[in-house]
Amino acid sequence: MDTLPAVDPVTTNGVAPVIVVDRVSRWFGSVVAVSDVTFDIAPGITGLLGPNGAGKTTLLRMITGLADVSAGSVTVFGQPVRDNPPLYGRMGVMSEHETVYGFLKGRDFVRLMGRLRGVTDLDAAVDRAIGLVDLADAAHRPMGTYSRGMRQRMRLAAMLVHDPEILILDEPLNGADPRQRVHFQILLRQLAAEGRTIVLSSHILEEVEQLADTVLLIVNGKLAASGGFRAIRAALDERPYHVLVVSDSPRKLAAAVIQLDSVDAVNVDPDGTIVVLSRNVRDLQIELPRLAQSASISLRRVEPLDDSLESVFGYLAER
Amino acid sequence: MTQANSAEGTVFDIGYQKYTGPREGRNRARLSVFKDGVRTSLGFGRGARAKVLPWFFIGVLVAIALVMALVAGAAKGLGSPEDVAQLNLPSHSDYYGIASIIFFVFAAVGAPELLCPDRRDGVINLYLVRPLTGSDYIAARWCAFFMVMLAVAWLPQIILAIGLTMGDPEPAGYFRDNWLDIPRFLAAGVPLAAYTTTLALVTAAFTTRRAYASVFLVGLFVITTPFTTGLAMEIGGTAGQWISMFNLSNIPVHVNDLIFGDVSEITSVAPAAELSAWILVGWYLLWTLVPAGILWIRYRRLTP
Amino acid sequence: MNSVYTLTLRQLSGRWRLVIMSVLASLPVLMAVILVRSVRAPSVEEFELVVLNAMLAGSVSPLVVLAVASVAFANEIEDRTLANLTLSPIPRWQIVVPKLLAAVTVSGPFIAISAFLTSYVAFNGDMTATVAVTLSAFVGVALYSSAFVWLGLVTTRAIGFGLLYVVLWEGYFSGFVSGVRFLSIRYHSIALMRGFDTRRFVATDDISFGFAIGASVVVFVGFLLLSVRRLRRMDVP
Repeated sequence: MDTLPAVDPVTTNGVAPVIVVDRVSRWFGSVVAVSDVTFDIAPGITGLLGPNGAGKTTLLRMITGLADVSAGSVTVFGQPVRDNPPLYGRMGVMSEHETVYGFLKGRDFVRLMGRLRGVTDLDAAVDRAIGLVDLADAAHRPMGTYSRGMRQRMRLAAMLVHDPEILILDEPLNGADPRQRVHFQILLRQLAAEGRTIVLSSHILEEVEQLADTVLLIVNGKLAASGGFRAIRAALDERPYHVLVVSDSPRKLAAAVIQLDSVDAVNVDPDGTIVVLSRNVRDLQIELPRLAQSASISLRRVEPLDDSLESVFGYLAER
Repeated sequence: MTQANSAEGTVFDIGYQKYTGPREGRNRARLSVFKDGVRTSLGFGRGARAKVLPWFFIGVLVAIALVMALVAGAAKGLGSPEDVAQLNLPSHSDYYGIASIIFFVFAAVGAPELLCPDRRDGVINLYLVRPLTGSDYIAARWCAFFMVMLAVAWLPQIILAIGLTMGDPEPAGYFRDNWLDIPRFLAAGVPLAAYTTTLALVTAAFTTRRAYASVFLVGLFVITTPFTTGLAMEIGGTAGQWISMFNLSNIPVHVNDLIFGDVSEITSVAPAAELSAWILVGWYLLWTLVPAGILWIRYRRLTP
Repeated sequence: MNSVYTLTLRQLSGRWRLVIMSVLASLPVLMAVILVRSVRAPSVEEFELVVLNAMLAGSVSPLVVLAVASVAFANEIEDRTLANLTLSPIPRWQIVVPKLLAAVTVSGPFIAISAFLTSYVAFNGDMTATVAVTLSAFVGVALYSSAFVWLGLVTTRAIGFGLLYVVLWEGYFSGFVSGVRFLSIRYHSIALMRGFDTRRFVATDDISFGFAIGASVVVFVGFLLLSVRRLRRMDVP
C-alpha cells in the first residue's frame, strides 16, 4: 500500500526536523518488522500509532539507536543515532518493559540515571524530576515495593532528570490509572510547550488522539498515514463519511436524501435512525437541512460517526 | 442481532462458538508437560540456537564412542589377539565411567531449563490451574528428562556396539561372543539416567536462575571427584573407601560395574569399588531416592 | 564508571552465591590441610598437579568466576535493564570495564584467599611460594572474568557454553593435548606461578613464563575489546 502524502502537519512551522527516518527497514530472518519507512519528526508531540505487532517498538528502538537498521538511516539532530553515545545526553527514553533494578530505592535509581547521563547539579535535578512525577514520599523505598504505576512514574522521572530535548516513550500509559493518565498528559503538554520533541507510541487511540499534534500510523511495518488525524481523514476521500441522522420520518427522509448528488448510500436502522454515506460532507451539510425543510421533516440529530482516529485507524488496518 | 437486555446493552452474535469437542483430562495434561519437557531439553521447536548446546554434548558423547570403536578396530586390525587382550581396551563397561562427567554437565545445563524458567516467569501457575497438580507436573518433567538422558546414554553405546562389531576382523564371531554387552549397557544406562536426572532436577528446584543451578551442579560433580579421589588415596583403609563413596560422579558407575560384573577403568582406582555390592547399590539408591523424595515434596504442595 | 561499578557489585553479591563460592573456595584449602597431615606426603609435582592445577586453577577458579562474571551482563540482558546503561552519553568501554572490575572484585578475594591458604599450609609458610600461587591465581581470575563477561554478553546460554569450556577444554583436553595448553587460561596461570617461584616449581617446556605473561595480557585485553565491540553492535533489549 502506498503511503499517503503527509498532509498539513500541524506543528512544523518551518522548524527543522529533529529526527529524520529515511527509508528504514528492519527484518529478522525472513520476518519484516519495518518496511521502507520515511518520515521526519519535529518539535511537539508526535504519536506513533498502530496495532500490536505493527512494528512501533522496533521502529522506536531504531530511532533510539538500541537496535540496528537493516536498511536506511536514522539521524537525530543531523547525526546518525547508532553508536553515537554523546547524543544520549539529549535524549530520554522510556521503554515498554519495566526495566528497573528492584533493589534500588527510587531516589537512588533516578540519581544513578542522572549521574550516568552527566547531570551536573545532581541533587537539585533529582528532586525536580521526582517532584514532577509527584513521588517524593515514596522515593526512599526500594522500587521492588512499588506498584506498577509508581514504577512507571519513577521511570519517567529517571527519563527527565537530565532535561533531555527529545523524549521517546513506548506505550507509556500501559496500566496507568485515569488520574495518572491526566497527570501525564498535562506533564507532556507542558514539556512539549517548552520546545521539546516528544514521540510516543501507543495502540490506544484516545491517548494519541488527545495528546499528539501529529500522528504516524504504522500498520504491518509500513507507514500508512502521517499528519494531523483530521487531515488524514480528509485525505481518505475514497471512503465515504458516515453521518447519523435522527428524524421523525426516517424512511421518508431516506427516500429524499438518496436523490442528492452528494450522497452515495443510505442505511436505515430498525430503530429509526438513518446513516448517510457521503463523500462530500460539505455539500451534504447545506443540502440536508434544505431537503428536510421542504419535506417537512424535523431533524433531531445530525452527527458524523467517524470523525475520530479510531475509524481512520480501523479503515486503514482493514486495508 | 440478539438482545440480551434491551434497556442497557446489546450482545451481538458475531458467530462465536464454544468448543464442543472432546475435553481430555489429567492424563492429557501430563502428557503435554512431558512432551514439552522432551522438546525443550533437545531444543526442538525453538530455533537453531537452542539446539546447539544439547546436540553439541550429544556429539561429544558420540565422538567418544566413535574414538573408542576406532581405536579398538585399529588395534585388532594391527595386532594379534593376544596383544589385543593384553591391552585391555576400553569397552562398553568403561564407557559410562569415561563419559560420566559429560553426562553430568549435560544434565546440569539441561535440567534447569525445565524447571527454573517456569517458576521464574510465573508460568508454573498457568500449568497448575489446569487439571494438573504439582506432583503431576514434576513427575512429567522428571520422566521427560529421564527419557532424554536415557536416549543420550544409549545412543553412543549403540554406536560403540556397531563400531566394535564392524571393526572386528570377524564381526559375526565378535557379536556371538559379546552380545550380552547389549542388554548390559541398556540396563546400566537406567541407573545413570535416573541418578543424573534426579540430582539435576532437585538442584534446579531450589533456585529460579538457571545459571546458579548449573554451576552448583557442575561444581558439585567436578570438584568432589579429584577431592575425594586424592583424599581417599591418602587416608586409605575403610575411611578411604567411604570417602571415595562421596565421589558423586562414580556412584552410578559402581552400579554399572555390578551389572557388567567387571570393574571399569575409572572406578578401578576408587577404593569404594572394594566395598560389597549391597553397600554400593544401597548407596546409589540413597543418593537417588532421597533427592527424588525432596523433589516430590517440593513440588507436591505447589498451588497456583 | 563508579556508579556502574557499585551497581554491579550489588547485583553480583547475592547471599547464596557468596555462600556457595566460599564452600567451593575452601575445598583446595581442606585438601592441602589433609595432605599435609597425611602419612605419605605428596611431592611438589603431585601437589601442584592435583590441587593447584586440576582443582584450583582448573575447576574451582573458573567455576566461581563463571557464576559471577557471566551474569554481569547476562542478568541485565535477561531483566532488560541493560538499556538503562547503554542509553547514557558515555563511551561503551566505560560500561564494560566497571562491570569486569566488579566481577573480579567479587570473585577475586575468594580465589585469592583460597590460593593463599592452600599454598601457605602446603609449603609451610614459605612466602615466596605462597605469593606466587596467590598472584597467579588472581591473574587467572582476571583472565577468566574477562572471557566470561564477554560470553555473557554474546549469548543467553553463557553458562552452558562456559561449562562446556571449563569441563571439556580446560578439564579434559588441556590435560591430554599439549597444544591446547597454549590456549588454556588454566595453564597460563600455572605457567605464571612457576615463573614467579622458580625454585619450588619446576618450569616445564610447556609454556614459558614470558609467553604466559604475553598471553595473559592478550587474553585479558582481547576479551575486553571484544566485549566493547559487542556492546556497540548488539541490539540492546
